[in-house]
Amino acid sequence: MSPSNNLTERPREPKPAPDRERRFSAQSIAELEEIVTHYPERKAACLPALWIAQREYGGYLTTSAIQEVADYLGLSYAEVEGVATFYTMYNLRPRGRHHLEVCTCLTCAVLGAYDIVHKLEHELGVGIGQTTADGEFTLSEAECLNFCGAATVVQVGDRYFTHITSENVMGLIDELRRSENYTPAKLADAIVKILIPGSGESGGGSSDKEALQGAPGPML
Amino acid sequence: MSDNRLTQTEQSLNLPSEKRVKIKINGIQVEVPSGENIIEAARRVGTEIPFFCYHARLSKGDAANCRMCLVEVSTTAPDGTVRKMPKPQAACTMPAAEGMVIETETPALVKDRKGVLELLLINHPLDCPVCDRGGECPLQNNTLFYGPPTSRYIEEKRHFPKAYPLSEFVVFDRERCIHCARCTRFTEDISGDAQLGFLKRGADMEVGTFAQTSFISKFSGNVIELCPVGALLSRTYRFKARPWDLLTQRSICSQCSNGCNIKLDYRVNQLQRVNARLNEAVNEEWTCDKGKFGHEYVSSPERLQTPMHKRDGEWVAVDWTEAYRILVGRLKTSGVSVAGIGGAKATNEDNFAFQKLFRQVLRSPNLDHRMGRYQGPTNSLMHNRFGYHTMGNAIADLENMQTLLVLGADLQDEQPMLFLRIRKAWRFKSATVVYANDHATSETTNVSDFAAANLIYKPGSEIALLHGLLNVLITENLLPENPALDLTALKRSLVEWTPERTEQETGIPASEITVAARLLQHSPTAIIVGKTVTEHASYPDIVAALGNLVTLTGNIGNLNVPGLEVNSQGAADMGVLPDVGPGYVPTAETGMSTHQILESAADRMLQTLWIVGADVVNDYCDPELARRAVENCPFVVVNDLFMTDTARLADLILPIASVAEKDGTYTNCERRVQRIYRAFDLAPDIKPDWLIFTEVAAQMGGEANYFSARDILRDIGEKVPHYAGITPKTLGESGVRWNYPATEPKPAAIVPVTYTAPVRETLSV
Amino acid sequence: MGIVNLLFKNRLVPNIEEIEVYEAHGGYVGLRRAAGMERQAVIDEIKASGLRGRGGAGFPTWIKWNGLPKNYDAPHYVICNADEGEPGTYKDRELMLKMAHTLVEGVILAGYATHSKKGYIYIRGEYVEVAWQVRKAIDQAYKKGYLGKNILGVEGFDFDCYIHLGAGSYECGEESALMSSLMGERGNPRLKFPHAPLPTVQGIWKAPTLVNNVESFCAATAVMTIGGEEYAKLGTEKSKGTKIMSVSGHVARPANYEIELGTPLLELLREAGGVTGGQLKAVIPGGSSVQIVPADRLDKINLDYESCGANGTLLGSGGFMVFNDRTDIVLLMKRTSEFYAHESCGKCTPCREGTRWLYKILDRITSGNGQPGDVELLLDVCSQIDGRSYCGLGDAACWPIVGAIKSFRPEFEYWIKNKRSPIGENALPPTPERVNPLLTLTAA
Ligand SMILES: Cc1cc2nc3c(=O)[nH]c(=O)nc-3n(C[C@H](O)[C@H](O)[C@H](O)COP(=O)(O)O)c2cc1C
Ligand code: SF4
Ligand code: FES
Repeated sequence: MSPSNNLTERPREPKPAPDRERRFSAQSIAELEEIVTHYPERKAACLPALWIAQREYGGYLTTSAIQEVADYLGLSYAEVEGVATFYTMYNLRPRGRHHLEVCTCLTCAVLGAYDIVHKLEHELGVGIGQTTADGEFTLSEAECLNFCGAATVVQVGDRYFTHITSENVMGLIDELRRSENYTPAKLADAIVKILIPGSGESGGGSSDKEALQGAPGPML
Repeated sequence: MSDNRLTQTEQSLNLPSEKRVKIKINGIQVEVPSGENIIEAARRVGTEIPFFCYHARLSKGDAANCRMCLVEVSTTAPDGTVRKMPKPQAACTMPAAEGMVIETETPALVKDRKGVLELLLINHPLDCPVCDRGGECPLQNNTLFYGPPTSRYIEEKRHFPKAYPLSEFVVFDRERCIHCARCTRFTEDISGDAQLGFLKRGADMEVGTFAQTSFISKFSGNVIELCPVGALLSRTYRFKARPWDLLTQRSICSQCSNGCNIKLDYRVNQLQRVNARLNEAVNEEWTCDKGKFGHEYVSSPERLQTPMHKRDGEWVAVDWTEAYRILVGRLKTSGVSVAGIGGAKATNEDNFAFQKLFRQVLRSPNLDHRMGRYQGPTNSLMHNRFGYHTMGNAIADLENMQTLLVLGADLQDEQPMLFLRIRKAWRFKSATVVYANDHATSETTNVSDFAAANLIYKPGSEIALLHGLLNVLITENLLPENPALDLTALKRSLVEWTPERTEQETGIPASEITVAARLLQHSPTAIIVGKTVTEHASYPDIVAALGNLVTLTGNIGNLNVPGLEVNSQGAADMGVLPDVGPGYVPTAETGMSTHQILESAADRMLQTLWIVGADVVNDYCDPELARRAVENCPFVVVNDLFMTDTARLADLILPIASVAEKDGTYTNCERRVQRIYRAFDLAPDIKPDWLIFTEVAAQMGGEANYFSARDILRDIGEKVPHYAGITPKTLGESGVRWNYPATEPKPAAIVPVTYTAPVRETLSV
Repeated sequence: MGIVNLLFKNRLVPNIEEIEVYEAHGGYVGLRRAAGMERQAVIDEIKASGLRGRGGAGFPTWIKWNGLPKNYDAPHYVICNADEGEPGTYKDRELMLKMAHTLVEGVILAGYATHSKKGYIYIRGEYVEVAWQVRKAIDQAYKKGYLGKNILGVEGFDFDCYIHLGAGSYECGEESALMSSLMGERGNPRLKFPHAPLPTVQGIWKAPTLVNNVESFCAATAVMTIGGEEYAKLGTEKSKGTKIMSVSGHVARPANYEIELGTPLLELLREAGGVTGGQLKAVIPGGSSVQIVPADRLDKINLDYESCGANGTLLGSGGFMVFNDRTDIVLLMKRTSEFYAHESCGKCTPCREGTRWLYKILDRITSGNGQPGDVELLLDVCSQIDGRSYCGLGDAACWPIVGAIKSFRPEFEYWIKNKRSPIGENALPPTPERVNPLLTLTAA
């Protein structure tokens, strides 16, 4: 945590509790109840429930999203927020339509990941953690995405793009601008679906390997 | 180090087995319960192992995180070979096992401790000069004893907003937090509202509530004492004093009948803060927020400081001589047409002098301390049947119950410590809890959170519910054999009370009633009854019905109807009741109860009314009547700390000493007699009630042989059989729970109870 | 020695992820065989194979399987640790992507051997494409009756398999943290033996729980297919069978290579086409958590648990990273420490504060503000974390740094003295022009 950005707000009194919003659709609740049956305790469905919330609340978790999960699972707000803030894939702030997560861990780092980051920073005009003005892209660094053999790896939504270089990365960007897929909400949606038994056939999975012609596909 | 209040607990919660094992600590052979953690085990041989996160009353799951308590452990194999574990182990969670060899002072460990402290301090702001905890801070203490002299950390420290207000009582300084998880574990293990939790991770991890919204708990104050650093602080005490400038006096919380042991920290005749004092039998080491933050009144500028007399509508300050002249003159003329109300907030000594003045000097039997309306003459009903008036159990017994039925009580407000015990029984000793009340509550701290059955019944239908429960227990014959009892009549009266019929009356689904009833079969079962019941028109009948339940389930000793005020119990013991004297000895003539007194005063039938520390105009269950009474009574004298609404309507006000300004004893809801000590004097002209009564008695020509509260206690010891042998000495640190003189056991009997559908009128209560 | 395709036998068969194809190529034979045997016999078979855990610790697999209490009425659980997070490792990814059925088969027969009725496959959240394949495999297995009630007609052989997806946390690969995460909590590690019972006695929801790595389960399938003795023929005397090595970095043909344990390290490097972009400088053989080995010592190392251990490194999870002479070890270690600082769960003092401190020191050195004594400081801070932390992450954060200083101390000294890289301008990895990396990482 950088010192500066933390000392700013300084409330006199505690904020009021978040209002009880309800955004889970009937279908979401059905999905949640299905998932709950996988475990002996409701609490165990906390991560899946947060994924559902992330989908229902448009790709990131608001305080009321967390409250809604807490209410469905009979947990306290603090417990659920603790979980939501622990895992990096839960967004606590809005994200661009496409969230570019460039792996800069060891292998990718020595194979030019930072060049890609810098390229994107300059081309998109945003720094790490920022979102472009048009809300199209959010740029992040990721810890090892564990596909080092296909370095450099960039995760966008539910998809890994591999062998990215500072040369071909802009091609990927152009494809993404045109693509409806690989959004944070779609990622959450895919994850929820995967948790539901019997959804296998519907699964895009690597069947949409070649979805993006032109852009490099995963090495297999 | 050892007397810092965080290490005050002695025994460990993860109850070790009976089996004992031989272990060696720093070469000293010692036998400890198998499974006891090494910190506790080491204490047995006088070895102090430093720690932060460990706390004997909190669960182990999230413990062992500070790593301050590392020790070297070797195990002995069956063949006798001793193997040293490659890594140092956390003593706080290490269970003692046969043949274990522990080293706590090796050079390696000395280095490890330095290391842990250096790491804890790299991000700690070290703003000790302006930290309330400074001087009583485990982090300071451990650093002094085990820490490195300097830090090699030259990077930038972690920063957060300082003094973040978590609730109206607690501020949170995130920079100082050492992430020991004591506070978070407290809200999970003890108060049960799970209001605090960790957010984020790694070095960014922080304690949070509701996205930093309000920390809503009935027990939030405890985390201030639990926090081993100055991260969680009291908003009322913040920046008020340095710990070493404070004087401390032992005392008892005056806010409710649980009688929590507390410490009054004061300075120049002003109360600065209240902290918990260890008493395993009562509050362990907790307080509720009422107790911790509710004692400001003691040092309030509003306190009355001289007697006041109303002269044609105007209050005039008078001195005591004048006040007594007026009062005594008045009492002389009004003869027996005088009545006294109150005493529930006064000490035993006050009450004893109070009733003595009335009975022996004024010769009036009209005195009563009860504010409730339906308690009938005394609690004789229960006493005649079971031999006790209020609580059959000691508070500590509750944690050993299998089943606990909480009926008509918002326990977290009415009896906070009973609440904590019951939760402890549930969380750490797997008891089942059944909760029944006529209204649901949305409180974050609440019995229904962990109750196995929550029965919310229509107001006034308690008896129906109890019939329904008994019906199930009988028809499914889940009751223990008891040939002594003839149940035919009862059975006949209960046949109609099928779960379905009960559902009609109570509005609780039949299925839930059956489930709840089945839970009640597991003895020992204790029943705790609260306000909803005691302020109910058919209160005696409900108690009778409960009596049947405990009799049939074989829990005759486990019915509990705790009083509500700090000394309700003591006032009754001292005979501030219309029909019995000290020690519940029936009096020759029966006087008027509170309600009757007020009624006769309201009808101008009463000459003089003496109200002792009770704001009847607001607190009595029928405020209207109370107001008319005080208005219509020709002369009303009030003993009080403040100019209450009742006092305003009176003619003479006598300023009395608060809990912090007098010696004496209170008797809590479980009949435990506990001492309070005079800490300071707020003002010269304030007197304790007992002194007022004694001096008036003297001026009325009665004997005045009391020169101190001790004298009265001695007298009580002689005159009140139950209090025989109770002296300041025997009371000691943690008080004495008096017991009823042994009588031959009463034959268990069933009392038929008929249910009458609720009358609207009672609901207004 | 050398490449032995056992788990990867059918790697290149088209549509091997479809159950029919898988069966046609000897799929579910191992399970059938197991189902025909006594449950204990299955465990003995695993014992005979000498299989050791492939998740990093290398703990004998059969001991875990055998450790679950044998009272069959109480629920038992099987968890597959598919939270592959160790930098440099991507074997589980490919196994699940192509061999999902091998994994599912392994989990099912583990369930049979340990009397478990439920299995969870904990896959890291980023592996969406992978998870789809596993989902497909599970669904197909249900259709074919390999999952569900009375599997393969064996009375009382019931097993259900669920997927649980993580949400971004390396620590959740640590088995006790994984269990917390599975139970819907923060990914904090739990008390370990002897402070608490072993997972095999009291794991998730206080029930006996078996946790194994993806590759371990796949290997178990192989064992049951070819037989324990057969499997034990592969490998060295103490390290049996094959291990998948994820080769990456400065090599010509980065990929997963399945090798027989005991294969000389350099042979694998040769298989992978050798170093690219310069001379060979160093290799990290087992994922970022193990100590880096300079080129001159590589010839001594065979890829098995003992040989690696003897040479001051570990086989770990098989994340085999190759670095050429443009690589600046100090920058590399800075990036490594950044990883651990970011992934520390924050529960215990040494790891929470220490990993971040290590990163800050290395960041200071590599931004030209190093001071004399910093190397000693690094070593000392490591000694305050290593073995003192609550779980293995603290240790894992120290070993690479200690190892790097052991082998490349001059490079650290150089940085501190000359405020620049000994490699020169275009050293790898390049220093990112960023204000506060950790802020950006936690923001993501
Ligand atoms: C910090 C840390 C991270 C770990 N990450 C993984 C992982 O990503 N995948 C894995 O299979 N095991 C991981 N492990 C090892 C597991 O704790 C555990 O040993 C392993 O899953 C046991 O399976 P095995 O016996 O089949 O190896 C990790 C351990 C530590 C200390
Ligand atoms: S606030 Fe205090 S009690 Fe809570 S974690 Fe921090 S140091 Fe521990
Ligand atoms: S007291 Fe043992 S680790 Fe904190």
